Amino acid sequence: MDATPGGGFVMRADAILETRAVTMRFGGVTALENVDFRLENDELRCLIGPNGAGKSTFFKCLTGLLTPSEGSIYLQGEDCTGIHPHAVARRGVGIKTQVPSVMNTLTAHENIWLSARQSQSSREANRTTEEVLERLALQDIANDEVATLAHGKRQLVELGIVMAGRPSLVLLDEPAAGLTGEEVERMIAVIRELNRDAALVIVEHDMHFVRSIAQTVTVFHQGRVLTEAPVEEVMADPAVRDVYLGKRA
Amino acid sequence: MLREALVSALIGLVLLLAAPFLFDDIYTLTVLTIYGLLALSLGFVWGFGGILCFGQAAFFGLGAYGFAIASINFADPWIAALVSLIIPALFAAALGAMLFYGRLSDVYLAVVTLVVTLILFKFMNSTAGSAYKIGNARLGGYNGIPGFDTLTLPWDSSEYLINEYLYYFCALILLLAYLGLRWLLTAPFGRILVGIRENELRAELVGYDVRLIKTLAFAIGGMLAGLSGMLFANWAEIVTPALFSLSQSAEIIIWVIVGGAGSLLGPIVGAFVLGALKFFLGQQTLVNNLFVLGSILVVTVLFLPRGIVPTLTPFFKRRRRRSRTAGGGERGGRNARRRLRHAR
Repeated sequence: MDATPGGGFVMRADAILETRAVTMRFGGVTALENVDFRLENDELRCLIGPNGAGKSTFFKCLTGLLTPSEGSIYLQGEDCTGIHPHAVARRGVGIKTQVPSVMNTLTAHENIWLSARQSQSSREANRTTEEVLERLALQDIANDEVATLAHGKRQLVELGIVMAGRPSLVLLDEPAAGLTGEEVERMIAVIRELNRDAALVIVEHDMHFVRSIAQTVTVFHQGRVLTEAPVEEVMADPAVRDVYLGKRA
Repeated sequence: MLREALVSALIGLVLLLAAPFLFDDIYTLTVLTIYGLLALSLGFVWGFGGILCFGQAAFFGLGAYGFAIASINFADPWIAALVSLIIPALFAAALGAMLFYGRLSDVYLAVVTLVVTLILFKFMNSTAGSAYKIGNARLGGYNGIPGFDTLTLPWDSSEYLINEYLYYFCALILLLAYLGLRWLLTAPFGRILVGIRENELRAELVGYDVRLIKTLAFAIGGMLAGLSGMLFANWAEIVTPALFSLSQSAEIIIWVIVGGAGSLLGPIVGAFVLGALKFFLGQQTLVNNLFVLGSILVVTVLFLPRGIVPTLTPFFKRRRRRSRTAGGGERGGRNARRRLRHAR
């Protein structure tokens, strides 16, 4: 976002997401404070930070589940601060939550189909569902109730739900948590594939995973952006190590 | 799917046509059919929309009162029937919009719907004065509204729809409502509704306006309950505030629990079984009616928590699948899986 001579702000066309001075308070607790964040159209960004740094709260603000106490959120140049979650989703934002949020007594196929059907005709949604199931290698469990699946498969089903909506911005909250080594590799491949059509913001603690997928990393600490830099630079940053491991005496 | 729907329609039609020959008492059979429709309305809202409405009796009563008042004011009782559908549907839509757009949680929703019913009950009881009239219809307070024109045969306005005629009319409405809801649940709207029941947050995060969809489902349930109220007014030929009573509200919920929420057939079965039992118990003085109904509810919750129909359905489906697999090999198994998936 650039300042104009009149003092207002204009979004640069290539930013899919921009937040300006987003602050979120819960009573006396400040979970986010003046967060400025910018994501380009084809970017893949990882958010890291210790527990309680405000990453999940930030995601909730982006998806409309929380309305920031102060500040603004722009999606493709449009001010979307405080709009309802379904309206955010219809603007092309898909989210995979930290704990898989799926429709438990429905099958994997039905879960993915419902997401596809939101923006597509029934016939198109059928096609999309088959494609997504194939991309995630979930055909074998397509007709199984999601409640009966292992955690890793549920994660993939939720990712399938996100993919079926054909989002332009994907938010993934700890996508590698609870996955087996093989599933992590598949997840990495899927994320790279997703990044061809969509920008991604990924919250992750697994630094090996982060190193595998991201070029740029944003570090959150105590509700603020501590630093934003290429992944190797962040890894070598003593301030980041202090945040994660505790300050050395 | 079409084949299944046709088979269901045929079985339903045969059962409803045969019922008067199996049971002598057409009068009781008619009201059981009406109760079946009322239970179906809550079964849809609760079992498939996940909305526990304690006030289905409010829409039932509004349908009945709407018909009685409109029948007194309009010459044609069929216009009154139309009014009796519109009033509860609009009332349910307005109440639903307030509840769902106001983000009330399940418990508060149940409490608010119950309170609305009790307010209507209190209000209708206090309308005995001559000032309480709508057009030519006096609300009548505790005594209700008697003496309104009931439905007539469409092809002969001098012939009233009573006895067998009324039964077959109610049976036809019940069958159509059942098939209509079955169709709705396989259509995208119904599938989305079930998705919302399963995970409201996820439905919102993929872009569905949960508030709107739940309001629509609530209005459909209200309209069906109003329709059953209209039929009840035709059956009883009088409407009283008792239609809005707490016991009426509780009874509908018990029918659905015993029959089985989460299936369309369950609530109908629950209403028929418990309704018939209530009439039977009403003819004796040895055991208290409410005690027996309460005991049945407790036993069902403890031993058949999913209700009669959902508990028995897998048993019959397994038998059907076994016989098909024996004769049909791979194709039979695949079809059975598909049927199980759509049975919800």
